[in-house]
Amino acid sequence: MKLFTVLTLCLVFVASLSGCISQQLDDDEQVPPSQYEWEDDGELVIATYDVYGLTDELINEFENQSGYQVSLLKLDDAGSVLDHLLQHQGVQVADLAIGLDNTYLQTALDYNVLWEHSAELTNLSESSLLPYNGTYAAPFDQGYVCLNYDTNIVDGENYSVPLSLWDLTSEEWRGKVAIPSPETSSPGRAFMSATTDYFAHDSDNVSDWTDWWNAMSANDVIVTTGWSEAYETHYSGGYGEWTEGYVGDAHIVVSYCHSPGVESWSNGNWTKSAALNLPRASFHQVEYATAIEGGNLAAASAFIEYLLSPAINSKMPIENYMYSVLEQSDLPEEGGYRFNSVVPQQPANVSTTDIAENMETWLSQWNTAMVAE
Amino acid sequence: MKIRLSSSCAFLAYTLLVLIPLWLALDRLIWIAGPNPINWIGSLDENYISQGVVGFTFLQALLSTIVTLIIGLPIAWQLGRHKWPMQSMMKAVLTMPFVMPSIVAAMGFMHIIGRSGLNIRADDSTWYTTLIIAHAWFNMALVIRFCEPVLSTLEPAFEEQMRLLPAGQTKIGRLRKLWAPLLAPSVAAAACMTFVFSFTSFALVRWISLGDNTLESVMAGLGSSAGIPNYMVSRNEIILGASLIQFTVLLSSLWLMSILQQKRQSLLPQASEKFVKTNNNKGWMIVGPGLFFAVLPLIAVFWASFRIRNSDLSETTYSWGTGGWEFAFSSTNSMPSAWDALYNSLGYASLTLCIALPLGWTLAQTIVNVETKRPRYARFLDILTMVPFAASSVMIGLGVMLGMIRIDAEFFYSFWLTPIIAHVMITTPFVVRIMLPALRAIDPSYDECAQTLGLSAWKRFFSIRLPLLRGTILVATIFTLAMSLGEFGASWVITRNSDWTTLPIMIDSLRSIPYNNSLTTPAACAVSSVLMGITLLLFTWAEKFRPSKGGGMF
Repeated sequence: MKLFTVLTLCLVFVASLSGCISQQLDDDEQVPPSQYEWEDDGELVIATYDVYGLTDELINEFENQSGYQVSLLKLDDAGSVLDHLLQHQGVQVADLAIGLDNTYLQTALDYNVLWEHSAELTNLSESSLLPYNGTYAAPFDQGYVCLNYDTNIVDGENYSVPLSLWDLTSEEWRGKVAIPSPETSSPGRAFMSATTDYFAHDSDNVSDWTDWWNAMSANDVIVTTGWSEAYETHYSGGYGEWTEGYVGDAHIVVSYCHSPGVESWSNGNWTKSAALNLPRASFHQVEYATAIEGGNLAAASAFIEYLLSPAINSKMPIENYMYSVLEQSDLPEEGGYRFNSVVPQQPANVSTTDIAENMETWLSQWNTAMVAE
Repeated sequence: MKIRLSSSCAFLAYTLLVLIPLWLALDRLIWIAGPNPINWIGSLDENYISQGVVGFTFLQALLSTIVTLIIGLPIAWQLGRHKWPMQSMMKAVLTMPFVMPSIVAAMGFMHIIGRSGLNIRADDSTWYTTLIIAHAWFNMALVIRFCEPVLSTLEPAFEEQMRLLPAGQTKIGRLRKLWAPLLAPSVAAAACMTFVFSFTSFALVRWISLGDNTLESVMAGLGSSAGIPNYMVSRNEIILGASLIQFTVLLSSLWLMSILQQKRQSLLPQASEKFVKTNNNKGWMIVGPGLFFAVLPLIAVFWASFRIRNSDLSETTYSWGTGGWEFAFSSTNSMPSAWDALYNSLGYASLTLCIALPLGWTLAQTIVNVETKRPRYARFLDILTMVPFAASSVMIGLGVMLGMIRIDAEFFYSFWLTPIIAHVMITTPFVVRIMLPALRAIDPSYDECAQTLGLSAWKRFFSIRLPLLRGTILVATIFTLAMSLGEFGASWVITRNSDWTTLPIMIDSLRSIPYNNSLTTPAACAVSSVLMGITLLLFTWAEKFRPSKGGGMF
């Protein structure tokens, strides 16, 4: 019986312990920079996902220049970076987050998990500051998210080039379109945001954007967790076909308008992929580096400054396959990089306030549309 | 008194270790999702991310169980009823897949179906079949381990007498009236375990069946956004719904399993294998392919670690080289070297052993001690030690992760021992299960006799118990080490919030690196080969010490 008493006691102990901890979850108020409390331990932990640009050379150079010791906390995708910040609210382990974009940023701001950085930033392009212009987040790269198609297959004979998003709901495209999930991936979320604007401005007043997603779901659209699974594993028009694990069942994919440029540049001026330039079906995406609450603010700011220095940021198209955020920067001409990249004339017009106000509702509407029969 | 104290301490430590993380996780999830289990389960089909997952999980587990029996039973029959050259070696090869880390199996099967193998990967209709076959590969050892001892030791007189009776004159008649009733509990037990393992499959599902998820892999995927107040509330519901279904299914399976275990213990006259087994040349037609099937994924992994893909616009060629190994064993900022992962994995495995073995042993001893006097209480303790089996490794991982965030996130992030908590939770129940039958088999009169001779408790322990239990302890040791080394689900969740990686997680990360670095796949296979090598070494060692009869379920 003694044993039983011990067990009961320990259950009571566990229960009370968990109660104590629950109470720590009160919402933090936004703290002004003058009241930030942190210490410089000489280390910088960066929470990120597979951002190509964070190469070993880049990090080593920063370590040599600044004296900080850098370590990377690798997460799955932009969604996981945000999740990580929210989950660790008030008890953060990382100092800097790299990879939140303009569709994710607002949630992080709402939850007060970011701090104002103290990096001195000059020479930033107007376009990169369009979605957000403040000190809580520094843009480090940008691009337009849009559909890409495999020109070898979508050649007008086997498959016709879609002229509207509704075309993708036809039988011809059953199971042939790959889209990263807006719930987990940043290009996926950007594309979903674009569809809200696209269908608000199309000639059809009866159906809306959720009807299109519902039709896509019925048409067996391939929804993946992240961009790499959509582009690398499923898309037949990209470099994925040279990698292991390639499936190649999708001939249209959500990627960037300059992805064909990247393909061409890395293949010696050849690509079979093209961007589908439909009005309002592309989305201007800006990715941010953000200092995390309670982290080493000096180190985070130093890294942001370094990442946005002309020497480093001008290399974004080559190192990170994204546009630089510096003024008067462009994609390189070599290897058909710029020639094969499309700058959409009429991207979706979705304001940051719209995103901030509606994202949660959109995601839930998207979910409902995808599961509805 | 001393024994009672150590038993109480062991149970207290175990209860705290297992219940605190699970309690913290549940408390947090329920706090966010609300306390309505109907909502939790309903949310599974209301959300795109988890729609159809329950059906997929059940169906694939059921099919995997059927296919495992179809493949495993003929092999078990051949091994049990006939003589084979190098018999124990053969049995070892056929049962080895069960101890292989699931991520290694995933890599192996990816290569068998990949371009340099059968080249069927691009056809999505093959994924389901591949997954089922991979599960059968993994679990056929269970069928062999459970059925072969029954087949190989049954007194031949039984069958001879059967032949004289009208019902036993045909093969089918004997199968129906003799073998089926005799084997049923063992087959059912093997089927039950196979169902459980396929039901909670994670690494294989993650890599083989793109887009289709089990409850376990959905929970793992959603884990990163669980437990955040007012954020993605539906995900908390999904996790709770999934774990509730999983817990119920696993608990019922374990309950069924423990009933079957008791039935299997029913005593039948046994004979030596020498008399039972006959020659059978045609049996090679079954055993040969079986052996080939057992080693194929492992050979594929090793082979693929040296095969480097060179692609350009005109063609794809392969060359042989050690580039993958060099890539795996050199460190970068974003990826630690395989040396680090190896060091961590070996460290975690040894420390897990240091905790799980004494803990599991004490727990098992306590159960045995109270069994005769208070059978119901013993049963309660027995079930308590099985809780982690029913919680599944991803759920344990989530528990530890949410627990560590709530207790001290920064401390656990940099604390080297963090992953051990989950490893101990997962391995201790296995130690209990392995030790129980051996402890039950010790005749108490040995101890009593020694006591009357005036031997001290320590002396009795070292000169009686330890030598009697030597084989079992070694099997438990090796099994714990192998489990910890290959642990994937819990570590996958936990290492996202920690600075440390292990070999299985490194394989997964290497394989996930995007862009066409042709070395990542051979590197993932190189690390898999290392893990495979260590596991094989341990397994071969365990086979030497396996108690000849019974030997528990493993």
